[in-house]
Amino acid sequence: MQMETAGFTRNDLAKYPFLKETAEYIKPLDLQIDDLTSMGMDQILKRAEERVNETILYRRITRNIQNTALEIASFPVALLLVIATENSLIKKRYALAEAKQASSDLANEPKEKILKIALDFDWKIKLTAKESSDSPSEFIIYFTDYLRNTSHLHDKKWKLTNSILSEGNIYLNKKDVARLLEEEVRRRVEKRLDVKVPKFPAEFTLIAERIKKLAQETIGQSELDEMPKVVVQAAFPPCINALYADAASSHHLSHIGRFTLTAFLVNIGMTPESLNELFKTFSDYNERLTRYQIEHIAGERGSGTHYTSPQCSILQTHGVCKNKDDFCRRIYHPLAYYKRKQRTINSG
Amino acid sequence: MEASREFVYQKFTEYYQDPSTLIPATTMPEQREFAYLMFKERFMVRHRRFAEFKNLRSALAETVPSDVYHSCAYYENPDFDMDKKGWLGADLVFDIDADHIPTNCDKIHDEFTCTKCGFSCRGIIPETCPACEATKFEAKTWPCELCIQSARDETAKLLDMLENDFGFSQDDLHVYFSGHRGYHVHIENEAVRSLDAMARKEIVDYVTGLGLGILDKEPEEKRGKSVASKKFSLHNFGWNRRLKLGMQNFLLNATKEDLKKAGIRNNALLKNRETIIKRCINEGRWESINDVSVQTWLKLAEYIRDSQSSKIDTVVTTDIHRLIRMNGTLHGKTGLKKVEFPAKNLQTFDPFTGAVAFKKGTTKVLVSDAPEFRLGGETLGPYKNQTVELPVAAAVMLICKRRAVVAN
Repeated sequence: MQMETAGFTRNDLAKYPFLKETAEYIKPLDLQIDDLTSMGMDQILKRAEERVNETILYRRITRNIQNTALEIASFPVALLLVIATENSLIKKRYALAEAKQASSDLANEPKEKILKIALDFDWKIKLTAKESSDSPSEFIIYFTDYLRNTSHLHDKKWKLTNSILSEGNIYLNKKDVARLLEEEVRRRVEKRLDVKVPKFPAEFTLIAERIKKLAQETIGQSELDEMPKVVVQAAFPPCINALYADAASSHHLSHIGRFTLTAFLVNIGMTPESLNELFKTFSDYNERLTRYQIEHIAGERGSGTHYTSPQCSILQTHGVCKNKDDFCRRIYHPLAYYKRKQRTINSG
Repeated sequence: MEASREFVYQKFTEYYQDPSTLIPATTMPEQREFAYLMFKERFMVRHRRFAEFKNLRSALAETVPSDVYHSCAYYENPDFDMDKKGWLGADLVFDIDADHIPTNCDKIHDEFTCTKCGFSCRGIIPETCPACEATKFEAKTWPCELCIQSARDETAKLLDMLENDFGFSQDDLHVYFSGHRGYHVHIENEAVRSLDAMARKEIVDYVTGLGLGILDKEPEEKRGKSVASKKFSLHNFGWNRRLKLGMQNFLLNATKEDLKKAGIRNNALLKNRETIIKRCINEGRWESINDVSVQTWLKLAEYIRDSQSSKIDTVVTTDIHRLIRMNGTLHGKTGLKKVEFPAKNLQTFDPFTGAVAFKKGTTKVLVSDAPEFRLGGETLGPYKNQTVELPVAAAVMLICKRRAVVAN
């Protein structure tokens, strides 16, 4: 167990156990699922359960640097426990907590260490020339690596349009690089959790059940906003109202406009039948095509995928976002607008 | 099939069957979906796979489609149904089409007829019929020089961003005349292949200048409190640099009329132009001119943003499964071919000679209505209800544009 790997120290691996090198380090330990519960590995199992519990309770994971061997080994075992819960919410939480913890640790590391970790994710990243007055920040990263990790972030500061982009490279400071690595870590952990293990030993299943119970008590229903049971037209966001008005007054809808309107109405619970009735009143109605589109979006045809209406930023790109109101300002999705607005209507 | 369509079909057949016709090979054809529109039957054949490019060539010679497309995407199984194809990546593509941008000609050469009430008019096709409010029209469009020039200007702005901001080399940028009224830019570079639709949307927003924080008029909110109106400042990279250069250029040349166009009534911008360029643009002291408020800077910056952004078709670039016209094949609406040329030749490449596919022979056609136009080095027209003997390329174009029929 005295193995020291070339690139990272054992301390690093304990702090950032998702690195590729961790696998090299653990390999000689030859961890087997069936052995974990028996062969004196109970400490690893205990620490692994603790990791998962921490993410559920505090959304963070403490780092036990005193015992690096235990810390490193407990990571893959924690992943197995999370997989055993078969609960997507716990999986998401766990990946996010590992990522958030890593990102806040990274912000305090020297830039050379950050560089090394970014390279572990195959980023095209470089430190800018020292004391060079014409480089605005310490790092430059290639724009595709930037986009992979920012295109889903809502804050406008991350928009490519607002970035310091020059010849394909984006200038970033240490804090921003750490934030983008958080996305990378989250995805890597999520990917490792997205597997099916056919059979777990009984003790594993038992722990997984304990974790699920804790999650139920802690996370509860607060994260799940209910969709209203009936259609509340007064809660439609302005973009949907505009599309609806266009369609009703027989204006031509673009493909994405029609898709947005239909997907929105399907998602708020209109049945394909009632939607078809509604579209019948529109002038350029084509029954066969309309029915096909509705059923396609509702997941009753083709691939069986149930489609959601596009989020606000996509509607902005294609010019479908219209008449933004105060409510829109803190909202990223037309469906979220609808849920929130109808709540204020009900409570007001 | 009527004689005129038959004539065009015959010419398309000759094009695809002539072994000397140069159709450049598509990269990695075995991983792409091919599709074509059947000339006579008017339906789209999709999900075709060609293990080798030469098989595609013989298929084209055999079927003679009116339009040929391939996917920008690479698939494990390009011939399977969409959800089973196994997406591996996609080229980054841009489409600039005069149909979607305002042009100096106001499309006065286009003619539309309402399919419901028969109302007919020239100009930009409206959303609804002015007479009966129906939404379907039969359109007779025309690829005029001004349309093409507008598309070319938008393409130039796009190419400038792709080179200077995104760092693509001229070799990375494949630029094509689309065969109708616009340009395509394909980037097959491996670095962009795996970008998902959201990442491509960010590139689109960059090219169109959408979401620029500096132009945000809503006061910033921090922990519920709104912060006092912000200062105006620009750095030297990305869009900030473009705004800065654009503002400088505007100030150097602007007249009162230009100012009005930008919606600015404050003449102080013109009176102090030299001071402004020195203090504000060069030294970044935007607040140092008393007569110019933050609001005025914002208005000017917004105007510059609108003129510097490139009006690409946003849907094409964000669609990671898009079918796009294949290089070297004919456009069913013109008989011109899609053709590649070096990015640096954008301003000098002339589509009306470079994209001409039919270079031999003449034929007699009865032209109902055509403006003066240039094709294959000749200036032709205008024609109104007359029979003329035209070069084949011109005859094919007029027939495809439904402005002529073969004369008996």
